[in-house]
Amino acid sequence: MGIDLNESKKKEYRNIVARKVFFLAICLIILIVTTIVSCSVGTGYEFSKTAQVIWDHIIGVTYPVRSPDWWADYYIFNNVMPGVIMALIAGAGLALAGAVMQSMMENPLADAYTTGISSGACLGAVVAIIMGYSYSTVVSGAGIVINAFIGSLIPAVIVILMVRYVGNSPATIILIGTALTFFFNSMVTLVMITSSAESLQEAYIWQVGSVTNASWADMPLMLMMCVASAVLVQLSSNKLNIMALGEKSAKSLGLDVVQFRMLCIILTSVLIASIISFTGIIGFIGLVAPHITRFLVGGDNRFVIPGSMIMGSTVLVLADLASRMLVSYGNIPLGVVMSFIGAPIFLYLIVRRKSDKEVFRWQGKRITRAWCAKNGSS
Amino acid sequence: MAGKEDYKSVVRKKWLFIVLCAVLIMVALVLSLSIGMYDISFFDCYRVLIEHITGNITDPYEDDIIWYTRLPISVFAVIVGAVLSLGGSVMQTMLRNPLADPYTMGVSSGALLGASLAIILGESVLPFFNDQWAKIVMAFMFSLIPVSVILLFSIKRKVTPTKVILIGIAMMYIFSAIVQLIMITSSEETLAEIYSWRVGTLALTTWETIPIPLAISIVCGILLMSHHRRINVMMAGTKSAHSMGVDPNRTLIIETALVSLMTAAVVSFTGTIGFVGLVGPHIARLFVGSETKHLIPASAVFGGLFLLLANCIARVSGEYGLPVGVISAIIGCPLFIFILIKMRRKSAWS
Repeated sequence: MGIDLNESKKKEYRNIVARKVFFLAICLIILIVTTIVSCSVGTGYEFSKTAQVIWDHIIGVTYPVRSPDWWADYYIFNNVMPGVIMALIAGAGLALAGAVMQSMMENPLADAYTTGISSGACLGAVVAIIMGYSYSTVVSGAGIVINAFIGSLIPAVIVILMVRYVGNSPATIILIGTALTFFFNSMVTLVMITSSAESLQEAYIWQVGSVTNASWADMPLMLMMCVASAVLVQLSSNKLNIMALGEKSAKSLGLDVVQFRMLCIILTSVLIASIISFTGIIGFIGLVAPHITRFLVGGDNRFVIPGSMIMGSTVLVLADLASRMLVSYGNIPLGVVMSFIGAPIFLYLIVRRKSDKEVFRWQGKRITRAWCAKNGSS
Repeated sequence: MAGKEDYKSVVRKKWLFIVLCAVLIMVALVLSLSIGMYDISFFDCYRVLIEHITGNITDPYEDDIIWYTRLPISVFAVIVGAVLSLGGSVMQTMLRNPLADPYTMGVSSGALLGASLAIILGESVLPFFNDQWAKIVMAFMFSLIPVSVILLFSIKRKVTPTKVILIGIAMMYIFSAIVQLIMITSSEETLAEIYSWRVGTLALTTWETIPIPLAISIVCGILLMSHHRRINVMMAGTKSAHSMGVDPNRTLIIETALVSLMTAAVVSFTGTIGFVGLVGPHIARLFVGSETKHLIPASAVFGGLFLLLANCIARVSGEYGLPVGVISAIIGCPLFIFILIKMRRKSAWS
């Protein structure tokens, strides 16, 4: 027996959904505009010109070789766009991972960076690169990603095990994650410095994240992982909603919590590994994007997941744009700009008055009601 | 009278640990001099040192390497380690938080921000102060920001010890992002140097850097040592401290300011070296217990020894050596997690 809902309630629910979908569509348009603006900044071409060149490229128009248009196309596509698109994909992927982890761990402070998973992945990738793998071929590139995945599992497993030992206090879990981040970052430096002629500078770039060395060849693997995870997560977003109610409620609603959590961890680890191997550790994006999205569209994961991805892309593309616009003052890595935006939000999330559990519980009630409404009153 | 005898022998053992650490520092100091690109044996180092002190230098080249390049770094390592570790022990006792130290509370990163602002704005920042002093004063002022934020939160709202540290770490992220941005945009420093500042390095030390931090830390150290009774009482809790005739808020403010000043004096030359203030006191506590009178000197000497050895490891890693902060983080992070687990399992920290 469900809750008996009359027709007007259902209509109201449909209205809310429509409004949220409309809102997501607007965000998507903003993202596209931002991306095109970002591609045009620094190239000397105007917005409309850039948009036209990109559109022409997509629909397959070819210009006569060495004409001005051809040069514009060549320049935008080979010098500017790889970085922008990589920021876009990385932002979407990391935000997705953050949203999943927050719901799964019932911890509003969780994301790939604060739990140390990014650093573990980074260590794996760096070790693989030092062992001689490179991004030159697909197989070798996959080798790096697999190694990064193994590396990312170490902190993930430690954090999950710690929940059993120290209880699910968000602050404690994040402190453990932060300590793991410091540890793995130091290991990255140590491994890089002792094993080869790498400089401290390169170690630093890996630890703050950067998209300046992006190339089109890096994209397919990242994009594939990102799309696959997004589809899988979106399909199980209702389960995530149930997880956010708390472990006991989820069990009583018939969800195999342990198994689902395991699946989520593996999925996010693969996703994070495939991104971090190319960009280095970009912090806070998985924290910022889902929270902005939740603030705007509420806590229902069916909307939070796509919303976070769009928001994550937008924020990271903007951060990349900022780091490129400041280039005349010095070479600022993307990660530094991102932590400039993200760290204050992190602080706010720690000190705000609303208790950590409250965020999800309150949303949980609404979600259950909405879910019942959707599936009729049976 | 047997009880008194027992107590005396316990105290003697504690002092023995302190003296032992001090002796070990002497040995490790010479050991650290023999490590480096140019190979000089352990006993040759002694010879060179004694020759320099007595004034008849036989090999000017070796003398130059040992006395002017390696010795300042090692001496400063001991000072920095002692200062950070002492600061950690005082903060842990006062706040009754086993995870507190100048690094995790954000003091170091605040100090670094102040110091880098002073460097970038030049001498004109503060009137009446010359370059080096301006740097330290600015570092001190900025180091108070994160502590005051944390203290405000912990007084106004009941926050758990873990949350206090999390606030400190968030402040650290913010401050270090600002420092990195300032450094990249305003000077010709390279990313490698910025990285060194971020994790803390001793490689830039010369004899000129040492006197001021040394003087400040000796003064602050003696002051803190003379306040050991008050600090000890703070461990019993705010109310108990009140009933024992100690004003807890005043003590908190004074001792925190002293620790911040001391930290600022070293951090403005080294960058933020992490986790030393965690390793030193916790290991020292294993040997001498929690009484502040012995804990302060013990953690100071042990911290000095620890950072000296960490610096030895850092210098032999890689072709050109590593910033020492990398090594101290690798050793300190597991300890941090261990303390966290232990803390959550026991309901209260004793």
